[in-house]
Amino acid sequence: MSDPGTLALAAIASVAADLPAGAALAALAFIGEAADWEFVVSNADYLGVGALLTIGITVASILLGFVVGFPAGAVEVYGDGLLERAVSIVGIVLRGTPIVVILIVMYFVVGVPQINLGVVSISSAMTAGILGLGLRSAAYQSQIFRATLSSVDDGQLEAGRSIGLSRFEAVRYVVVPQALRRSIPGFQNEFTIVLKDTSIVFAIGLAELLTRGYDLFSEQTTAVLEVILFISAIYFVLTFTTNRALDYLGDHYAIPEGESA
Amino acid sequence: MASATRPATVRERVADSDRSVGRLLLLSVGALFWSWLVVSWVNRWLGGVLVPVGQPLLPPGAVEATVAAVPGLAAYAADAAFVVDLTPELARGTWLTVVITAVSLVFGFFIAVPLAVSRVYGRFSAWLSLAYTELLRGTPLLAQLFVLYYGLNLASYVPGAFSGVFVRDVVWVAILGFTLNGAAYQAEYIRGALESVEEGQITAGRAIGLSKLETIYHVVLPQGLRYAIPSWTNEFVYLIKYSSLAAFITVPELYYRADQVASETFRYTLIFVVTGVTYLALVLTASKLMERVEERVAIPGLGVEREE
Amino acid sequence: MSDDDFLRVTDVSKWYGDEQVLNEVSFEMNRGDVTVLIGPSGSGKSTMLRCVNRLAEAQEGSIRLDGEEVLSPDLDVNALRREVGMVFQGFNLFAHLTAVGNVALGPRRVLGLSEAEARDRAEAQLERVGLGEQFDSYPAELSGGQQQRVGIARALAMQPKLMLFDEPTSALDPELIGEVLEVMHGLVDEGMTMLVVTHEMSFAREVADEIVFLDDGHVIERGPPEQLFENPEEDRTGRFLERIASHD
Repeated sequence: MSDPGTLALAAIASVAADLPAGAALAALAFIGEAADWEFVVSNADYLGVGALLTIGITVASILLGFVVGFPAGAVEVYGDGLLERAVSIVGIVLRGTPIVVILIVMYFVVGVPQINLGVVSISSAMTAGILGLGLRSAAYQSQIFRATLSSVDDGQLEAGRSIGLSRFEAVRYVVVPQALRRSIPGFQNEFTIVLKDTSIVFAIGLAELLTRGYDLFSEQTTAVLEVILFISAIYFVLTFTTNRALDYLGDHYAIPEGESA
Repeated sequence: MASATRPATVRERVADSDRSVGRLLLLSVGALFWSWLVVSWVNRWLGGVLVPVGQPLLPPGAVEATVAAVPGLAAYAADAAFVVDLTPELARGTWLTVVITAVSLVFGFFIAVPLAVSRVYGRFSAWLSLAYTELLRGTPLLAQLFVLYYGLNLASYVPGAFSGVFVRDVVWVAILGFTLNGAAYQAEYIRGALESVEEGQITAGRAIGLSKLETIYHVVLPQGLRYAIPSWTNEFVYLIKYSSLAAFITVPELYYRADQVASETFRYTLIFVVTGVTYLALVLTASKLMERVEERVAIPGLGVEREE
Repeated sequence: MSDDDFLRVTDVSKWYGDEQVLNEVSFEMNRGDVTVLIGPSGSGKSTMLRCVNRLAEAQEGSIRLDGEEVLSPDLDVNALRREVGMVFQGFNLFAHLTAVGNVALGPRRVLGLSEAEARDRAEAQLERVGLGEQFDSYPAELSGGQQQRVGIARALAMQPKLMLFDEPTSALDPELIGEVLEVMHGLVDEGMTMLVVTHEMSFAREVADEIVFLDDGHVIERGPPEQLFENPEEDRTGRFLERIASHD
């Protein structure tokens, strides 16, 4: 269990222990290390459920973000007038406001009710969390798609129109497939951001990974560092594997030898 | 040939004037926002020369009466008075938000440059730098703040020289957290920018007798850092927004103050909408400011073809 | 000309903002004719071509194709483009699709053929332009000349009644121009009606029924190739042809 990170932090803590004020607490965390790690391991399934919730919220938010963000990006590129302006202003507001404020507003203001699906019920915190993270993600995804849609050469659209495709069809069959492929790197980034920011639903008390970690170390205060390092490791594994998976996806769907004129 | 020039259509002219009206409106709202902040701060530092410390700049009663007098707005008079009542707390919290953001951004930059340089040009240090950035970028910022505050209890170890500078010593823990985290992101942006500087530039630097480090300092960095400005704007905006997480380690910045008033008054909706608008104003100011910086330091012919 | 004019362009004018790019352009052609538009760059010839399939909008004048008013606001532009093929200077092949995918997209999505029918038609058209070996290559894996031939096949797959060529060889290396012109010659022999913008004067001379010389948005002079090349009526035509010849 003594990974390099723990060793480094142990070194920092031992330096800290030389300092006079309240050093006992930090030192304790390391004296009782074995017991505290045992505490973490014995609660691994509790944290595991939290990790599953984190993944669930991430996936739901990314999907919501895509469903809303893709059309929004398309409106910003191809739309005009009032609709385009409304979409771009909502986007600026969502991108310019801290996610914690968005979540709180979703929770208290929108006041989403608990949703019952028979077997499972979705708590209002969960719904607010997914709505907040999802809509904020939509605002960022719209920028990814806006950039990639407009990066596709105008000649592509024109060629599509020249064989009789309607504007919508030309965008759908010619521009979108190319833009989506180019969106993968930006999407990768967005996925990581959403995954990490699920931790902020802590603010509305949703029992995902970080909240469960907080509950655990509030219960056994000597195990604070062990618990946080453990959940951080889970987050890291999740972001790392997601990134590699999307790398693979990017290579798999790459158009041979890049884009031609 | 009478119709050789086609005059602008009515629609185009309306759109044009619409845009300039919008810009003017935005500009005056910005000016109002910042004068409110600065006057509030100065009033507090000088011990309440204009209005007693903790009092709004405008009397809420008067605002309520004025709004009530406007037909159609009367229903919102009480809300307006409440918001005015809220302003001293908001101004106080915003000061800490601004300071934490600015200090962390600058400190983070000085860590980020060596991190990026060693990542691009180092051997063993490249691995260290990679591990640092991957680890910090791969875990949630809130978890990192928890490690520093709950895990290592750093708030108890703030050195005497720093202690007492802010309302609470925990502000330093937040600054440390944002600095370490921000450094990882900034290093990534700067690395990308350094890699976009042509190989030939280094060769040319070495050819006139500069050492490798001197070449990096005098030739590569001045170009690379300019490329990095747009992504640096992102980082600036990111820090303003995520500084709100400091509230969860008891730093009394903007979000924390808003949350406190909300839990006393239960007026979550109004308070957090106003708080959101305040953050939005900070974010918009930062991005406009960085646009100016970018124009100011631009070098003709450099970086233009890199527009994505 | 006879009164069964297949394409009749009358007094077409167009502005980009304040700048007039077409100034009362008129010409007409019969079914099976080859008309070549020539002129210096910026003369408006590409814009004129695009007005015919409404990729550019003419603001004044009339374009009648096979008895129908192209510029009518009620016209179904997609139906028009189904019947008018276009070949672009920059090829504009769909970068994410193979050669067959490029040619089959129109038959599949516009004409509503089945996947298999569309593929069959695409393969037949690719063979027609001599690309029987390159069905599954992506645009980036083809030479410029091959790409342009895919572009021609893509337009032909819609079985158009008029083909528009917008400087089809201008973006090609000199050694690749021949293969594209050869395909175009083949189309002329089959009796295809073609409106061509090009700087290939020898091609124009060989196949054109009429040449239209545009400069600054005006039709300066038009007529059969022999007349324009041997005895231009206008000074400007002569000077332009001399300049082109000295570049060849």
